[in-house]
Amino acid sequence: MLSRVADCLFWMSRYLERAESVARLLNATFHRDLDLAATDAGDDNRAWLGNLAILQQTVPDGLASPHAIASWLTFELANPGSIIGCVNRARNNARGIRGTVGPEVWRAINALYWQLRDADFESRARHSPFDYYQAVETGCHLFQGVCDATLPHDEGWQFIALGRSLERADKTLRLLAVKWTELNGLTDDSLKALEWGGVLKSANAFEAYQRAAGRVEPDKVIEFLLLDTNFPRAVRFSLEEAGRALSAIDGFTDGRSNGRAERQLGRLLSDLKYTEPGHLVTAGFHDRLHALLQQCIGLGRTIHDQYMLTT
Amino acid sequence: MPNAPAPNLFSDYSLGTAYDEMFDSAKQPRAHYRPLFERLSKLSPEEFARRKAMTDLSMRQDGVGFTVYRAEEGIERVWPMDPVPRIIPADEWSVIERGLAQRLTAINLFLKDLYQDQKILADKVIDPALIYGGGFFRREFVGADVPKGIYVHVCGTDLIRDTDGRYLVLEDNARTPSGVSYMLHNRQVLKRVFPQIFDGYDVRSNDDYPAHLLDVLRYIAPPGRPEPTVVLLSPGMYNSAYFEHSYLAQRMGVELVEGRDLVIDQNRVWMRTTRGLQAVDVIYRRIDDDFLDPLAFRPDSLLGVPGLVNVYRAGNVALANGIGTGIADDKGIYPFIPAVIKYYLGQDAILPNVETFRPMVPVHMSHILANLDKLVVKTVNESGGYGMLIGPASTAAQREEFAAKVRAHPRDFIAQPTISLSTHPTFVDGKALEGRHLDLRPFVLCGEKITVVPGGLTRVALPRGSLVVNSSQGGGSKDTWVLA
Repeated sequence: MLSRVADCLFWMSRYLERAESVARLLNATFHRDLDLAATDAGDDNRAWLGNLAILQQTVPDGLASPHAIASWLTFELANPGSIIGCVNRARNNARGIRGTVGPEVWRAINALYWQLRDADFESRARHSPFDYYQAVETGCHLFQGVCDATLPHDEGWQFIALGRSLERADKTLRLLAVKWTELNGLTDDSLKALEWGGVLKSANAFEAYQRAAGRVEPDKVIEFLLLDTNFPRAVRFSLEEAGRALSAIDGFTDGRSNGRAERQLGRLLSDLKYTEPGHLVTAGFHDRLHALLQQCIGLGRTIHDQYMLTT
Repeated sequence: MPNAPAPNLFSDYSLGTAYDEMFDSAKQPRAHYRPLFERLSKLSPEEFARRKAMTDLSMRQDGVGFTVYRAEEGIERVWPMDPVPRIIPADEWSVIERGLAQRLTAINLFLKDLYQDQKILADKVIDPALIYGGGFFRREFVGADVPKGIYVHVCGTDLIRDTDGRYLVLEDNARTPSGVSYMLHNRQVLKRVFPQIFDGYDVRSNDDYPAHLLDVLRYIAPPGRPEPTVVLLSPGMYNSAYFEHSYLAQRMGVELVEGRDLVIDQNRVWMRTTRGLQAVDVIYRRIDDDFLDPLAFRPDSLLGVPGLVNVYRAGNVALANGIGTGIADDKGIYPFIPAVIKYYLGQDAILPNVETFRPMVPVHMSHILANLDKLVVKTVNESGGYGMLIGPASTAAQREEFAAKVRAHPRDFIAQPTISLSTHPTFVDGKALEGRHLDLRPFVLCGEKITVVPGGLTRVALPRGSLVVNSSQGGGSKDTWVLA
C-alpha cells in the first residue's frame, strides 16, 4: 500500500471520528444548558469555554457567548476543528484516495458533506441544532459501517480502524482532563450528577455506564471512561483496538516495521491494565491524565514516522 | 370544456439548419429513435424534470466533478448530464469503428516513422519545418525504441456531423485524452434514474473499457515481467480530470499514484509503500510530456518524477501514451492525416477531415483574412475550447486581434468553415426539450490489437445556438448508445 494512501485513510477516518465527537460534545452541552436553565450555573459560559479547551481551541476574537462558540465549532469552514471543518478535511483525504477506496465509501462522506453544506439545512440548524448533530453522528456511523461492510479487511482497513481508535482514545482523555479540572470543586451532589452525566453523554456512554455502574459518581465515571474493556470510547478499549490494528498492519507489512509503535502502545496499555481498581483518582491524577495524553500524541507521531514517511 | 392537449416535452421543438439526430427534415423521428420518442412523448415535463433532478443529485453525490480553469467559481463543478441519450445505429457505428481503427493505425506508423527513419519527410509528404516548428516533436526521442513499437495507446478522436449527417473528424487527442470515465459513469447513472427508456433497445455495453485498457497496459510491459505492476500517474486531486484518474485506477484495480509517490533508483521506477519501495513496470500517465520529468523537460514541474525519462529510454518502464505523441494531434499536422493514411496504408480515409486552411499557404492566408467572420480560427497548441475565434459570433475587434496574430505566427493557427454541428433534443430550463449542438468522442485503444469500445463521450453545448461543447465552457454530456 502506498504510504500516501495509508496516510489519507488514517486521517480520513480520524477527522470523521473527530467530527462525530465534536457533534456529541456540543449536543451534550446544549442539553446541559437547558437542564440548568433555571439555576445560576446555566447562565455562564463555563461549559462552552471547556469545550474549546477540549478541542484545543482558543476563544475566537470577540466570540465568548455560548451561541457564538457553538457556531464557531459547528458551521465555520475556516475553523479546521469545527464539525464542518473536520468533515471537509476527511473529504479531502478521501478525495486523495478515490482510486483506492470503493465508490460507496466516497459517496458516504461526500453525501454527508453536501447535506451539511445545504443552506436550508444549515439555517434550520442555527435555531435548532439537534438535527444537525444527529446528521453528523448518523453520517459518521454510516461511513464506518460502509467501510466495514464493503472494504476488504486488509491493510487499508486497518489504517481506518487505527485512525478511529486513536482519535477516540485521544478525545476521551482530553474530555476527562478538562472536565476533571473544571468540575473538581463542585460540592452540590445533584449538580455533580448532572455535570458528570453530561460527560458520559459527550462520550455516548451514559446508558452503558448506568448498566455497568449504576448511579453517576465522578470517580466511577472516570474509571469507566478510562479503564472499561467493553465500551468503544473508553480509553483502554480504544487503545486495545489500536493495538490489534497495529499488529495486523505489521503482519501485512511483512516485518518491515521495527515495532516501535507497538512497543510504545504496549507500555501505555499496561499502565492502564495494571491500575488498581478504586485507586485511580488520587492526588497525582491530573498529572497522570496529562502523561497519558502525551503518550497518545507520541504514539501518533511514531505511527506517522514508521508507515507514512517512506524514503 | 374541451380537453386542451397536455403539455408535451416536444411541443415547442423546432429544427434549425443543422442535422438533427432524432428528427428528419419532415420532423418525423428517425427509425432508431422512434421507441425513445414515443416513450418521452408520454412523459410530462414535470416528471422529466424530476428525473433530471435525480440525475443531478446522483452526479453530485458521486462527486463527478471537474475543475474549471480561468474561472472564479471554486474548484469543483459537477458536469451536467442530460438524460436524453444519443443513439447510434449499428451500420453507422461500423463505419466509425473502421474509420477510427484505420486512423490510429496510421498515426502509430506515422509516429514510429517520425522518430525512426523519417521516410515521410524524405518523400516530401509533409514539410519537415512543420514537424520541427510545432513544439510537440521531441528530438530527444529520435532513434529510441518504444515498447512494441506503439506510441499512442489511448486515443480520443472528436467527431462531428455536418448538415448532411456525414461524420467528420474534428481533431485527434493523442496525448492524454480524457472523458472516458464520463462515458462509463453516464451509463450507470442513466440505468439508475431512467431504466424504462432502455426498453425496446439493444444497447451495447461499454463497461469493459477498463479491462481492455488494463490489457493494453500489461501488453506493453518491459520484457521479463510476467506479472507487471501497473500504476496510473495523476497530477493529483486538483487536476480537472482527477475524477477520471481515480475512477479508472479503481476500475482497473491499480494504484493511483502522484509524482511524489514515485522515486527512481538503479534506473528503475519505484513507489513508496508501507512495506518500503515496490517496483513499477508500466505507467499510465495522465500528465503531459512537459511536466513528466523536471530533469528532461520543464525544470519547474513539481508533478513529475525526476529521472523518469531516463528509465523510459532504457526500456525499464513503459509509458502510455508514449512521449512525443503530441505531434500527431497538433492541429497544424491534422490537415495532413488523410495523406498520412494514404502514405502508410495506401487507403483513402474512411472518416474525412473537416476542410482546413493553413495560414502558411499564401492562398489560404488570404482566404482566411478575407473570411474571418465566417471561419473558426484555432490556435494549434491549445485545447479545451481556449484560444479560439468563432467567426460568426465574433466582434470586429476580436477579428482584428486574430488577424494580427495569424499574420505574425502563421504556424500557430488553422481555420475551418463554421460547421453547424448536429443537434439533439436536450432538456433545458427545466421544462422542455430543445435542439442543442453536440459532438462525439469515441475512445480507441491500441495494444496487441485495436479496440474501439462501442460508444463514446457525447458532449453537448447547453446554451442555445452555442457550438462549443467543452466542459470548461458550459457544455454538458449525454449517454451514448451504440445499438447491436
